[in-house]
Amino acid sequence: MSGPIIHLEGVSRVYSTGRIEVPALVDIDLEIAAGEFLAIVGPSGSGKSTMMHILGCLDRPTAGRYLLDGTPVDTLDDDGLARLRSRSIGFVFQSYNLLPRTTALENVAAPLMYQGVGRSARLARATAALERLGLGDRLHHQPTELSGGQQQRVGIARAIVTEPAIILADEPTGNLDSHSGDEVIALLRELHATGRTIVLITHDADVAASADRQVHLRDGRVAA
Amino acid sequence: MKSPDLLRLALSRLGTGRLRTALTMLGVVIGVASVVALVAVGQGATRGITSRLEALGTNLLTVNAGSTFSAGTRGAAGSATTLKLADGDALRSLAGVAAVAPQLSTQQLVVAGTKNTTTSIIGTTPDYTTVLAYSVWYGSFLTPASIEGSLRVAVLGATTADDLGLGTEAVGTDVTIGGLSFRVIGILQPKGGTGFQSPDDQVVVPVTTMRAHFVGGDSVRSIGVSVASADQIDVVKAEITAALRSRHGLTGSAADDFSIQDQAQLLGTVESVSSLLTVLLAGIASISLVVGGIGIMNIMLVSVRERTREIGIRKAIGARSRDILAQFLLEALVLSLVGGLVGIAVGLLLSVLIGMLAGWGFTFSPLTVVVAVGFSLLVGIVFGVWPAGQAARLDPVDALRYE
Repeated sequence: MSGPIIHLEGVSRVYSTGRIEVPALVDIDLEIAAGEFLAIVGPSGSGKSTMMHILGCLDRPTAGRYLLDGTPVDTLDDDGLARLRSRSIGFVFQSYNLLPRTTALENVAAPLMYQGVGRSARLARATAALERLGLGDRLHHQPTELSGGQQQRVGIARAIVTEPAIILADEPTGNLDSHSGDEVIALLRELHATGRTIVLITHDADVAASADRQVHLRDGRVAA
Repeated sequence: MKSPDLLRLALSRLGTGRLRTALTMLGVVIGVASVVALVAVGQGATRGITSRLEALGTNLLTVNAGSTFSAGTRGAAGSATTLKLADGDALRSLAGVAAVAPQLSTQQLVVAGTKNTTTSIIGTTPDYTTVLAYSVWYGSFLTPASIEGSLRVAVLGATTADDLGLGTEAVGTDVTIGGLSFRVIGILQPKGGTGFQSPDDQVVVPVTTMRAHFVGGDSVRSIGVSVASADQIDVVKAEITAALRSRHGLTGSAADDFSIQDQAQLLGTVESVSSLLTVLLAGIASISLVVGGIGIMNIMLVSVRERTREIGIRKAIGARSRDILAQFLLEALVLSLVGGLVGIAVGLLLSVLIGMLAGWGFTFSPLTVVVAVGFSLLVGIVFGVWPAGQAARLDPVDALRYE
């Protein structure tokens, strides 16, 4: 294991709605090493989603420092965040979030398009990623023509196609039956085995148990 | 993100929701088509009017007799008897003058067999065809000999000949003008009628015959002067003024007892009026283009709202704000450009139809097409920027949460 890929130091996120200030995250210190499989666990309202947004560079902390792969995130502008998301992060969402009316292949190739990879190269890489996840015969299917489990596998293929530093999985089994859910967890473990850093965000203790390390969030603070 | 990728995204979007795409484009199609068609109408009308004016003779100056002024009442122009036949002869010797045709006119009943018509009888000289750009259709025109001999010969305008039921065979036969028998020696080529005083409805006779039988005295109503070349018109005008003033003994501040009408000036005025008309028509038509643009903006705003989640996904997987901006702007541009191209096709088709119906034909104007394409692109940009900007500014967290 090399040095930490994620380094949070005194990170807080406060939402201002009018005069009321709602703290979603309070003074979080967290280090995640490269190649780690970590679960962030907590009930709804514990700040999990905010944590995912901050780790995923979709949002900036209102206080504290966040280093992703050595890059200070809190000082970046919107374009800088977008570049970081494009290069370093792969998202897996609870509701899959595939692009509608777009084939599995084009969905998986889309992140490469925003990296400026040429069309034939990205289609080749997307095909390889989908084949690796056992979807070689579903390349030209649209999301509506795929089962939930298949859609989530397309989502995972999209997350890994850019070879990101970390994969952020937000309740990846939440919309799936237990069998498909187990499959997805097995896939994440498999990816972890090939050396990827995986951060799993869940409220489900059983799902969290598949990770190597668990961080519990309660009321916006790290509980244990 | 590369431009071919952007274009592919924008085009693939058009394929989904075809009815909506088609209806959105329809606004631009109607706008561009009406601009193209109305500009063509304006240009066609301009061409029609100017070609008819040119048919009356270019480089033409018409010297009109002034009006009488007695007991505080000004008479009609031409009522004065100051302009003489001899003035015409004098003008012929001026530099830059190609031809001179004095004109006397009166109304007389013309009878041929059982048919008759009352029309203008013009007494003039052989130069009349040169000055007023007539050509002889059948037979011949007045000759110096017919002037000298005050011969009772007549050349019929095409309409007059038609009214009298006379065709080519009429050349060499006799008609009765004001009770006198005249030999028809020719028929003039028709110019195409304009207004109630058609240039084709007249009978031309030698000026000397005219004076002998119908109009007494040696005064003429007007003298047509054909100038050798267009750039000499102003010089010749000044020469004519000077020559006539000295002949009529007008000195110092005495007012001219004649006036000079400039055909080129008239043509210029008509052209500027009708090009103003064209601009006006285009202006009215471009209102519909603006309405079409608002249609695009409306659909784009709805589309941004509907696709909020898609925008969130794209941002999460690495799209920058400018990628989103470019994607939506390009969609608006493709909508307006395709609409514009269809509109041009429809507009040109309409122009051809209108040109056929109105009889001024059709000339393809590349400038109109270029301007129309430019305008539809402009509409796409102007009305696409705001929705695209809204899409680009969406916060990725909010956009991903949007249901």
